[in-house]
Amino acid sequence: MSTWFRRVWHLLNRGRYERELVEEMREHRAAMGDPSKFGDTHRLLERSRDAWGWNWLDDAMQDLRLGMRALMRAPAFAAVAILILTFGIGLNLTLYQMASVVLLRAPEIKSPETLAKFKRRAPGDSTSTVPYPLARAVERENQVLQAVLLENQSTVFWGDEMRHIAAVFVSSNWFAELGGTAALGRVFSPDIDSEQSAAVAVVSHQFWRTHLASDPAVVGRIVGINRYPVTVVGVTAPEFVGTDLNRPEIWLVIDQRERVFPDSPLLRSWTVENTQLLGRLKDGVTVDAARDSLRALMAALREQRPDVVRDHEWLEPMLATVNFMDQGERNGVLGALSLFGTLTTLVLIVAAANVGNLVLSRATSRSRELGVRVALGAGRLRIVRQLLLETLPLALAGAAGGMLLSTWSANVIVSISGMPAHIRYSPDWSAAAVAMGSSAIALLVIGLVPAWKVARQDLMAAIKDGGQQVSLRLDRARLRRFMMAAQVCGSCLILVLAAMMTRTLQRVLSDDLGFEYHQAAVLAPGLGRYGFTADQASGYWASVKDRLAQRPEVAVASLALAPPLGRRIQETTFDDAPGMEVIGNRVDANFFDAMRIPMMLGRTFQPGDDPLSTVIVSRALALAMYDTLDVLGRGFPRSRPAATIVGVAADAHAIKVEAVNTSEIYRPLLPDDVSQVVLIARAHGEATVLPPILREAAMIDPRILPGIELLRDSFDRRVMATRIATGVAAATGALTLVIACLGIFGVVSYGATLRMKEFGIHIALGAERRSVVRLVSRQVMTPILAGMVLGIAAAVPIGIALASSPVQVETADPAAYAGAVVIFIVAALLAALLPAFRVLKSNPVQSLREG
Amino acid sequence: MPTPGLPPGTLVLLILRVVSQGPLHGYAIAQKIRTLSSEQLSVEEGSLYPALQKALANGWLKADWTTSDTGRRVRSYRITAKGLKQLDVEQGDYQRMADAIAAILESTS
Repeated sequence: MSTWFRRVWHLLNRGRYERELVEEMREHRAAMGDPSKFGDTHRLLERSRDAWGWNWLDDAMQDLRLGMRALMRAPAFAAVAILILTFGIGLNLTLYQMASVVLLRAPEIKSPETLAKFKRRAPGDSTSTVPYPLARAVERENQVLQAVLLENQSTVFWGDEMRHIAAVFVSSNWFAELGGTAALGRVFSPDIDSEQSAAVAVVSHQFWRTHLASDPAVVGRIVGINRYPVTVVGVTAPEFVGTDLNRPEIWLVIDQRERVFPDSPLLRSWTVENTQLLGRLKDGVTVDAARDSLRALMAALREQRPDVVRDHEWLEPMLATVNFMDQGERNGVLGALSLFGTLTTLVLIVAAANVGNLVLSRATSRSRELGVRVALGAGRLRIVRQLLLETLPLALAGAAGGMLLSTWSANVIVSISGMPAHIRYSPDWSAAAVAMGSSAIALLVIGLVPAWKVARQDLMAAIKDGGQQVSLRLDRARLRRFMMAAQVCGSCLILVLAAMMTRTLQRVLSDDLGFEYHQAAVLAPGLGRYGFTADQASGYWASVKDRLAQRPEVAVASLALAPPLGRRIQETTFDDAPGMEVIGNRVDANFFDAMRIPMMLGRTFQPGDDPLSTVIVSRALALAMYDTLDVLGRGFPRSRPAATIVGVAADAHAIKVEAVNTSEIYRPLLPDDVSQVVLIARAHGEATVLPPILREAAMIDPRILPGIELLRDSFDRRVMATRIATGVAAATGALTLVIACLGIFGVVSYGATLRMKEFGIHIALGAERRSVVRLVSRQVMTPILAGMVLGIAAAVPIGIALASSPVQVETADPAAYAGAVVIFIVAALLAALLPAFRVLKSNPVQSLREG
Repeated sequence: MPTPGLPPGTLVLLILRVVSQGPLHGYAIAQKIRTLSSEQLSVEEGSLYPALQKALANGWLKADWTTSDTGRRVRSYRITAKGLKQLDVEQGDYQRMADAIAAILESTS
């Protein structure tokens, strides 16, 4: 039995052991001739206790009890302190949870360390999907993959009710490779499901529960998918996630896709890039080896299809263990997270410094009590320990509150942002460790620092004058000003950043987008899926436009390859306009009218414009590339002209809303584009009249099941994330502002109470009200000013970093700075001056008479 | 607190020495120390107990409840292997100290 174990055992059974010892000593006394020679039983018991070495614990428990009692006596203080800490710790924890979901947790699939998703990469170019025939060619000819998995996301119509649901077409080995199993029936199997076999589907557990009423008889049922009979063979296990954050409602076999989309060229065309390529690496094959081998394979494929495979093209593997992110994406997320991490840590420091100041104030007013303890023989360390232990319940309650808060906020974020619900945000052990770690930091600031400061005072002297001198000295302590400056600095910084984000959102929400979206709707019939040739598509569109032209409600209709506010984005950068992302679109002549994008110079497209050599640039691009707007007739791009500029359009952010430093460029539609384009219609009045009109017009071909969306709905969807981020930032900014002002208010009013007599003398000697106010609040003005200057200065680099992160904040925005500074000054002045006015009201001269 | 009349730290040594002959209860230990020292060492008998607790805490002694010759329930202490080792160490320490003190006293006389 080790010494430690014996001691712990003794501690646990202490009551019994001590009773026995007392009994033993009593027997001993009774047996003695002269019991007085035995000694004092109580003192001996105390010394016996010493032998086991648990005295420090007893003392600590006693201090803790004292601390708890002191907190009970000041419930308002305790509640405020715990709330502030809850906020500080909870915010950090929420961020940690998000980070751990995005960066640390791999999707829950079989052997994520050998599963990779492949991106098509070529110098200056990157595509996340590949053409299906290319994927199959890679499957046949590669040397490094033991299995190739394919997936294609589409939407299909379910059953007679024609419900629009999210579908994924996958290769038949998909479930087996990912380790997905069925809760009911079976999943796909390469042995059973092929191009020729009966069409089958697997529905998701979620869909089965919510839309199929958990009916077990669904297995074996034949359901119309896009009106084609498909047998439901299984329901996935509830925990199955798949490879993507967006979980589909139904899985179908990719080889059977043409049954559901009879004329879709997806499986045959080398130009339709809509298939995700995933692969399971062979044993012992590294990512680098796979990349090299596939690079050689792509070079060989270029020999066969030079029109499809670009020069120096390769396939970039992204492992499941890093959530299929490549290094660049990972760095982006990491950068954003570390930035937010800095901010949330700052909030925690502000919160802790605030509570620290509160604790210091309380300790200051207790200098007399502490003096008595010192006089009774308590050492300095004992005083430090007592003050520290008193704050322990605060820190623990703060940590618990923080965990609750983060669970709640994670749920809110999940439900508002439309993130898939299966992602587990609930705190795990590592999150608890983070909470404890942050509360330990907080404890250090709020407990140890003030305790040390208090213990270093001459506490004995405090007994003589009722603690006046010591209290005043503590009140003026540099430490306290430092803590206040830290609070002001942190909250000012956060406020400036919140203002920047709010301004960015304002820009996004206002008509600065450069186009008008309230009165427009988009019709996306997806002609490609029905196998329309270019000629058939042109005919179709001509008759749709004809029908729309007869409707008085429709002002104008236009065709565009990339839908406004859509996901189809083609980005390029030009050496002539460095740093600017140029987003391309192919549009018809009516586009600028339908979008209400003003033409600044030149003309829109005309019939007969060569689609390959005609461009319309936007204002920002013209300025960036040519330093002038006078670019009509000039070659584009500037240094290697391949096209002629016929017009300059006003700046619009039609495709990428949140983006800063991007511009758009327009080219005429190519004949092949016509089967993939969407139609943008603008109403004379309310946009809500458009969907029925568009549906009716689209259904001139009875096969077509059109998708129609109001542009303002797409817009709302796109800015949701920005809106949430801004809301969070604004709430954080407001809360830290409140905390900082509470801190200022507390310090000033406490100092005022202590110095009431001094003010009384000033007034008795004829001081004016103004000078008394100055006297009261002077003490905090320097730290407030210093903190503000620091905070505003720090906002500059952090803002610049945020601008390049996915947040896309507009940084060079004096209005944001000015707004934040004004709000802060007003709030801080109020917090500092209110106590001063209170002093005047309470008549300080009175305090002189009271002695 | 050193026991009056007893060099500091020696009480544990004496207890270990006395108990090493065979298990004894508290009163008997005190008795034995007194008789063996020809009643020269005056000890506050109660201070035996903190010393006994220290020996228990360090694992030098073990205590068991037994019934004494007189039929009363008493706790008897017996020495452990670790206790025997400790006895050796303390005895050696004490011997060296006593020799050193003796050497000094002889040189000055």
